[in-house]
Amino acid sequence: MKIKIRIPDWMLSPWVMGMVILSAMAILISFIRMVVGIGPVSNLNDAYPWGFWISFDIYTGVALGAGAFTMAAVVYIFDLKKFTPLVRPSVLTGFLGYAMVAVALLVDLGRPENIWHMIIYQNHTSFLFEIGICVMTYLTVLLLEFIPVIFEGFRWNGVVHFFHKWLTLPLVILGVVLSTLHQSSLGSLTIIMPAKLHPLWWTPFIPILFFVSAVIVGFGMVIVESQISARALHRGIEINLLKVVASWIPYGSALYLILRFGQLAVEGKLGYLFTSGVYSLLFWIEILLIGIIPLVLFSQKKVRKSPNGLLYGALSVVLGVVLNRFDVSWIALGGRIFDTTGYVPSISEVLVSFGFVAASVLVFRYIALHFPLFVDEEEYQEENTIEQAHPVKAGD
Amino acid sequence: MKSKIDLSSINYRAILFDATRCIDCRACMVACSVQNNVPNDVTRIWVAGDAVMGEFPDLERATMPYHCMHCHDPACASACPVGAYTKRPDGPVLYDPNVCIGCRYCMNACPFDVPHFEWNRGVDEHAEIIKCDLCTPRVDGGQEPACVATCPTDALLFGDRYELIQIARQRIKDHPDRYIDDIYGETENGGTSYLIISHVPFGHLGLPTDIPNEGVGKLSESIMGATLPFAAAWGTVLTGIAIGSRQLHKRKQNHADEADKVSEAAPANESASVSETADTEEQP
Repeated sequence: MKIKIRIPDWMLSPWVMGMVILSAMAILISFIRMVVGIGPVSNLNDAYPWGFWISFDIYTGVALGAGAFTMAAVVYIFDLKKFTPLVRPSVLTGFLGYAMVAVALLVDLGRPENIWHMIIYQNHTSFLFEIGICVMTYLTVLLLEFIPVIFEGFRWNGVVHFFHKWLTLPLVILGVVLSTLHQSSLGSLTIIMPAKLHPLWWTPFIPILFFVSAVIVGFGMVIVESQISARALHRGIEINLLKVVASWIPYGSALYLILRFGQLAVEGKLGYLFTSGVYSLLFWIEILLIGIIPLVLFSQKKVRKSPNGLLYGALSVVLGVVLNRFDVSWIALGGRIFDTTGYVPSISEVLVSFGFVAASVLVFRYIALHFPLFVDEEEYQEENTIEQAHPVKAGD
Repeated sequence: MKSKIDLSSINYRAILFDATRCIDCRACMVACSVQNNVPNDVTRIWVAGDAVMGEFPDLERATMPYHCMHCHDPACASACPVGAYTKRPDGPVLYDPNVCIGCRYCMNACPFDVPHFEWNRGVDEHAEIIKCDLCTPRVDGGQEPACVATCPTDALLFGDRYELIQIARQRIKDHPDRYIDDIYGETENGGTSYLIISHVPFGHLGLPTDIPNEGVGKLSESIMGATLPFAAAWGTVLTGIAIGSRQLHKRKQNHADEADKVSEAAPANESASVSETADTEEQP
């Protein structure tokens, strides 16, 4: 007698299986942290109260979630309707990214049971208070922006229509205002640390730099997400839309370069560009990745039309902004009184962060496979030829 | 020897530390642990500095009990998202663990790296920020701070800040050969309630020497103050753009219908896309 065992699809793919294991480890380590404290699972210490969790989960997570507000602004505020197919995936990525920020924050906070205190004990001089309120509200806004997709999956057409008619535009405007505030305020957190953050990064103009780089990386992430999900989920990419998005990035990069060097010149800090050793080097890598490479690549029509050119240019922007956020919140920032202690993240810290990312990727995959995340394609197919990024293979 | 100060006459509480008198005995740390009823390694103050400096026979001692500076414009209180820190009008900067969410922004905001965190406590054990409170309950009860009361060489002196600055100036004036002509904390970070005079440059006592003379929270607070007006203005601008671009597109559409021609691709307000006109031209 033969017994047939049905193995679920996800157990067959090593990628998906790996992400399930990572997520499980993150949950396990988080649980241990709640019981024994932050010290035993991390290398954080009194000289480095903020470490990998803040730099990766909060600073990087929020920056890379910027695609949600930039694309929503393009479609609903600038009324460029043909980019609608790009909005849904980026709003979902934004929502999952911000949800990850919230969950990771609970692990990093010393007294997570008190997180709701931000609502009742408000300190109006604190940028962190502003960020907390903005992120809480924005998470709700993103959920409301995305939920019509779920309703569509259930075919509740009346509700969907109501959302699109009355709620979407006000929600998008609110979302853009909230995003502008907290994206820039993540930079403003360091204004209070003039003696701790390296002069190449410390500036009162940091909110403007953070906002501009968030807009650039938002467009970059839209391109990266589309490419990755196309390859992983075996769907075509919206090359005719992405090449237009890519054409906007050089303007942002040029503006960023002007602002960054202008700010250093105004504050008389140009000397630091060559005299600060590894910090000068990090600065120039940022400039290269956020400014120069995308400026050169995306100014060429040839590059914008090739899927690989799009991916590399966008990855450059993403890596550059991630490096910038790491520099501002960790590498160029340090306690000086106990600077002998140093800080390198522990394996558990990295596992927790990567595990939460894996968990959000799994949720994204589930929604992409079961809900009309990419449905608009048929509607827009006539205007936008969908090119197959990768030959379709069986299994995932 | 120790002068009995009338505590009720103090308007603004402060401590003066004289580094020439410190013998690195750490009795202050023990007194602090006892006063706050915590294990010996969880004192709210600690001894900093280069300890013994120089070469024999020109040895110098440089040690200092590192307190919370109790700033006039405390950066911790400015940064704390939930207002767990309060500045009492008579000097002390106090921390309320029941309000704290454990974000540790205060530790980064404090230019003197004073707040410490209880890293090895789980959610159940309520990890707190550790910080000197200038023995406020003790002083309110009519006693000097524990570290001051215990110091065997009177290196620490508790009193009114204004009077302590006079005493410090007098000592520097009387022994110009012994002291560096500066009072640390008189202007640092907008002024502090922990004042230091020393025979060695302050950096050797473990103090940061690049602290601006204005409270580091001031600039941050003034930018933060612009948030709500900015948000309102930005929301209005975005609403305007949204309405404007819809009308522009509608007008363009009508125009195109009338002319029975292909509409122009990009709207004027998205300047970036203009360059892509050739690429993005929609086919009818």
